[in-house]
Amino acid sequence: MARISKIMDKKVDKTLKLYYHMVMIVIRLEYLLRQKMKKNVTLLLLFIFISVALIDCSGDQGSSTKDEDTYIILTLGAYTVPKEAYQKEIIPAFQKMWKAKTGQDVQFQESYMASGAQSRTIAAGFEADIAALSLEQDIKRLEDKGLITHNWKNKKYNGFVTRSVVVMAFRPGNPRQVKEWEDLTSDTIDVIYPSPKTSGGAMWFVNALYGAGLKTTEQKSGQKDPAYARMLLKRIQRRVKVMDKSGRASVTTFENGFGDVLLTYENEALLRQKQGKEFPFIIPDATILIENPIAIVDKNVDKHGNREAAEAFIDFVLSSGAQRSFARYGFRPVDDEVLKEFESQYPVPPLLFDIHYLGGWEKVTRDIYGPEGTWSQIIQELAHEY
Amino acid sequence: MNTKQKRGSFLSIPKGDLVLRSLSFFYIGLLIILPLLAITTESFKGGFANLLKQISLPQALFSLKLTFLLAVIMLVINIITGTATAWVLVRYRFPFKKVMDALIDIPFAIPTVVTGMMLVVLYGPKSVVGSFLDAHGIEVIYNKPGIILALAFVTFPFVVRSVQPVLMEMDKDMEEAAQTLGASRFTIFSRVILPTLLPAILTGAALSFSRALGEFGSIVIVAGNIPFKTQVSSVYIYGEIESANMQSALGTAVVLLTCSLLILILLNYIQRWSNKYEA
Repeated sequence: MARISKIMDKKVDKTLKLYYHMVMIVIRLEYLLRQKMKKNVTLLLLFIFISVALIDCSGDQGSSTKDEDTYIILTLGAYTVPKEAYQKEIIPAFQKMWKAKTGQDVQFQESYMASGAQSRTIAAGFEADIAALSLEQDIKRLEDKGLITHNWKNKKYNGFVTRSVVVMAFRPGNPRQVKEWEDLTSDTIDVIYPSPKTSGGAMWFVNALYGAGLKTTEQKSGQKDPAYARMLLKRIQRRVKVMDKSGRASVTTFENGFGDVLLTYENEALLRQKQGKEFPFIIPDATILIENPIAIVDKNVDKHGNREAAEAFIDFVLSSGAQRSFARYGFRPVDDEVLKEFESQYPVPPLLFDIHYLGGWEKVTRDIYGPEGTWSQIIQELAHEY
Repeated sequence: MNTKQKRGSFLSIPKGDLVLRSLSFFYIGLLIILPLLAITTESFKGGFANLLKQISLPQALFSLKLTFLLAVIMLVINIITGTATAWVLVRYRFPFKKVMDALIDIPFAIPTVVTGMMLVVLYGPKSVVGSFLDAHGIEVIYNKPGIILALAFVTFPFVVRSVQPVLMEMDKDMEEAAQTLGASRFTIFSRVILPTLLPAILTGAALSFSRALGEFGSIVIVAGNIPFKTQVSSVYIYGEIESANMQSALGTAVVLLTCSLLILILLNYIQRWSNKYEA
């Protein structure tokens, strides 16, 4: 509680300072007017402008931390899905560990948003020390912006912290008898997945469908058949009636009773089951392995001077303890030892593939979602059917 | 007629007024004009030809067409229901009138996302209404009727609230005069009442139209958002921003912006015209 009140004090302090400056401006203004200022309005505006700028500067200086020895603040910018795992297990455990090790308290400021939005917010100036996002591309954006300067992939598990797979959720009892992606092409079935345009994470679903097409043909004939994969994707896309803006929104639509089958992440489905909801799902034989990255935002930790703690946090989330927490919340751990413990919960589908099977993110963003990409073409072709 | 200041030298304006005026200029500039300028200059960065190209992308063009079509349908509905509601509220006495009057503003008070959710709950497959409609093959939610419904809901207060005060101030004398001269009820309505109400109706309509063009929160939930089928411009813009196609997002945004601006200018003319009418 004491820590919280310290932070509160700082905030109050800042507000007070701001208010003080406002009052000062008003007083000065009045004074100027009494002096019968005969210059024009622009001067007045200029004056206000300068004053506002002054507030900005002084506000910043005022907020610099004074009690750095007793506690530090780490800002976590994450995507929404692992929120429960971080809040309920990992962060409390890290705080305890850090306290025991250094005697220092770590205060967390957490922000959870859709991966793409979070990445853009950080790029636009949100000073997150650690970025835990859904897609490699979203971390890459921070790299391109010069916020992440180290090679984040040069870590244990290549910079990834959790894994998952794309699954099909269906109604209790599986009334439509879905088992494989092919089953979703039936003329009477309603399929739901979010739009890969609005949700970066949703690209995993389309990737899974397209890749599954390639993988199954490769297994049958030894040859990848892009034409078949495209056909499969098109026939399933045709059955999609609702494309929500995010994965979570899609789940809600499905829970509202719409659609027969929902494409979602395994961890999302497991989380619902953990919450006591009836949420049956199946892992198709051919599906994509999702890997979620985590990285320190160099520019921000250097500014805040908390690199040591931030690095410790990254090491901590990769430790077997935190990996077990993730596993309990539905994520496939990246740690092989931990994965073995949870083997029965996380069966490996026979035709599992990852993003490299499709040529990596750069190729995928261009060849599937780009203006001339497969998915974009399919959308246009389907337009004639509506 | 105290609104117009005497024309004179700048210094003849009282100092208090001067401060207030410059402050409000400054504020409006900061709040509205600067962002508008920012988005306009940003969208023209790639050149006019590029902007045109972005707007004429099939998906963008379709979303614009759909947006305007649905907004027009909504407008027709709103003009009729809005005027009728205002009429009922002003001319009749009935129990719970005050409550009903307060309810009119609810659509403004509710976050639009919640509006979308309410409609999904009501018309979704899990509700009685939804399953009834479903059984009869009528698709409301995740299709165009759902979007129109959401738009009508969100913009409902505009027409009512602009017609209501005019109706309240309207004297019954003229109607009674027309009646004594033997005019039918229809003639009274079309020749006496409607001309007086028209500017107010148009004002409300223009406001609700420009509001409908940009509506996002409720539509993104209620519509299926399938490109070339149920994807309106605001959702398209959102998608383009999310996939980092700033230029095409800005292209469509500029079209919406220009339309809203034109509508507001038109509104200004309507108001001036109605002032002339009264005088």
